[in-house]
Amino acid sequence: MKNLYIFIAVLFIPWSFSLAKYDEFEDGDDIMEYDDNDFAEFEDVSEDTVTESPQRVITTEDDEEEATVEVEGQDENQEDFDDADTQEGDTESEPYDDEEFEGYEEKPDASHSKNKDPITIVNVPAHLQNSWESYYMEILMVTGLLAYIMNYIIGKNKNNRLAHAWFNTHRELLESNFALVGDDGTNKEATSTGKLNQENEHIYNLWCSGRVCCEGMLIQLKFLKRQDLLNVLARMMRPASDQVQIKVTMNDEDMDTYVFAVGTRKALVRLQKEMQDLSEFCSDKPKSGAKYGLPDSLAILSEMGEVTEGMMDAKMIHFLTHYADKIDSVQFSDQFSGPKLMQEEGQLTKLPETKKTLLFTFNVPGSGNTSPKDMESLLPLMSMVIYSIDKAKKFRLNREGKQKADKNRARVEENFLKLTHVQRQEAAQSRREEKKRAEKERIMNEEDPEKQRRLEEAALRREQKKLEKKQMKMKQIKVKAM
Amino acid sequence: PLPPTRYKPPATETNPALEDPTPDYMNLLGMVFSMCGLMLKLKWCAWIAVYCSFISFANSRSSEDTKQMMSSFMLSISAVVMSYLQNPQPMSPPW
Repeated sequence: MKNLYIFIAVLFIPWSFSLAKYDEFEDGDDIMEYDDNDFAEFEDVSEDTVTESPQRVITTEDDEEEATVEVEGQDENQEDFDDADTQEGDTESEPYDDEEFEGYEEKPDASHSKNKDPITIVNVPAHLQNSWESYYMEILMVTGLLAYIMNYIIGKNKNNRLAHAWFNTHRELLESNFALVGDDGTNKEATSTGKLNQENEHIYNLWCSGRVCCEGMLIQLKFLKRQDLLNVLARMMRPASDQVQIKVTMNDEDMDTYVFAVGTRKALVRLQKEMQDLSEFCSDKPKSGAKYGLPDSLAILSEMGEVTEGMMDAKMIHFLTHYADKIDSVQFSDQFSGPKLMQEEGQLTKLPETKKTLLFTFNVPGSGNTSPKDMESLLPLMSMVIYSIDKAKKFRLNREGKQKADKNRARVEENFLKLTHVQRQEAAQSRREEKKRAEKERIMNEEDPEKQRRLEEAALRREQKKLEKKQMKMKQIKVKAM
Repeated sequence: PLPPTRYKPPATETNPALEDPTPDYMNLLGMVFSMCGLMLKLKWCAWIAVYCSFISFANSRSSEDTKQMMSSFMLSISAVVMSYLQNPQPMSPPW
């Protein structure tokens, strides 16, 4: 069928050359009914030939005989189309050409040679074909999108199930230890919602409060981004695991001043670089915990040895050794202020606010392929957290330790002040200038000349006093130097 | 021992900009690609814009504005539709 259409299309060209005058478009339309798409292109061609052919038509009309023969020729061709016989058409077009276009030897030769040359089949443009195959790229894209949506739904549900499994396992322990479990900050009164607070499709929060020693405990279930297909694919290259992050904010009076961390070596190195307090107070590299009976995978970062001694009691060591694979890092700090802030020098005029915190990061076993059952294995870790809270409250540095700690903190503060000295000076200078300017403006704006004079005098007096003070200071320094 | 109850949590993240800028980047990328697709009539740009807006949606926080998400999504869909209306030819692979 396709070949037929193509042949018809090819024949249509010379046919239309001669038939333009005879209003053959109606016939042409009939033929086009076979396949509109295929002939859509050639409608234009026939229109173009309408403009070209008038020349020919005029000359051929000179000879009436030729005109009549033309008609005959058309009828013949029409029969050809009706019969749908390809071979007859080819043979009959030749005499047609020879008889008609006597004056035009080139053209008949050209059309003659056309018949001899292989017919070039022009490809029908893809969007005009009635097949879906040409749109395979689009189908691919849509399939990709559908896959993404499916993965989103599946991932979201899995994370949800994991979170609720965790919560169900831990609910009892939390409720026995804390008066307020679960709060999203929207209610006016402090009532337990008893539910996780979903921040994201992969992050769930839980705020517990109401216990001795600590202000509150924020638990963050940081799952992997199972709802994002890109992330899933990236994880196939680089396995990662879900994390449970617990941040206990201690009351000021319930914790002594020390900075201490224990965890996997990799995690500690990273924390030491990132965390403000660890980088300032724990200058040594993480030491191996083997001295205290910890497995090799764990290392210790501490402000001073005494803290380590105090922290590593039997129960803690027991916890750490048994659950070493699940522990990523444990950090006790009274100067906790979060990660180092990347600020420009000009902005840093005050030390960041610190809070006494215990920070725990646990890895969920399974390394990505976790099931809700794995959440039960995290329960003992929660007991460790509770134990640590109590321990932190009980642990007190002795006198020496306290002195050392205070010295450290003073040192850090001094360093900070030195760094920002220049900035603070500049800030003070600019403030003084602002004051002066404001005063001058006031004097200028004062309409009463008397008042003006008085204010100016007052300003002058103040300046003189300042100069005197400075001179006194200089004299004193000179005397001291001598 | 269960003593006095404390107050509620503070705005839990003091600096949400510190964590995960993915949804914002993807949103921006999606808009850029959809504008490219519309202006330059490139079909593949428009398709990538649709993907970007989906990724942005998947990574977004629950506190984020849904209007923003919907607007970027609609923009990318309109980019795809316009590219096909103007040029119904199927997309050709780059190889």
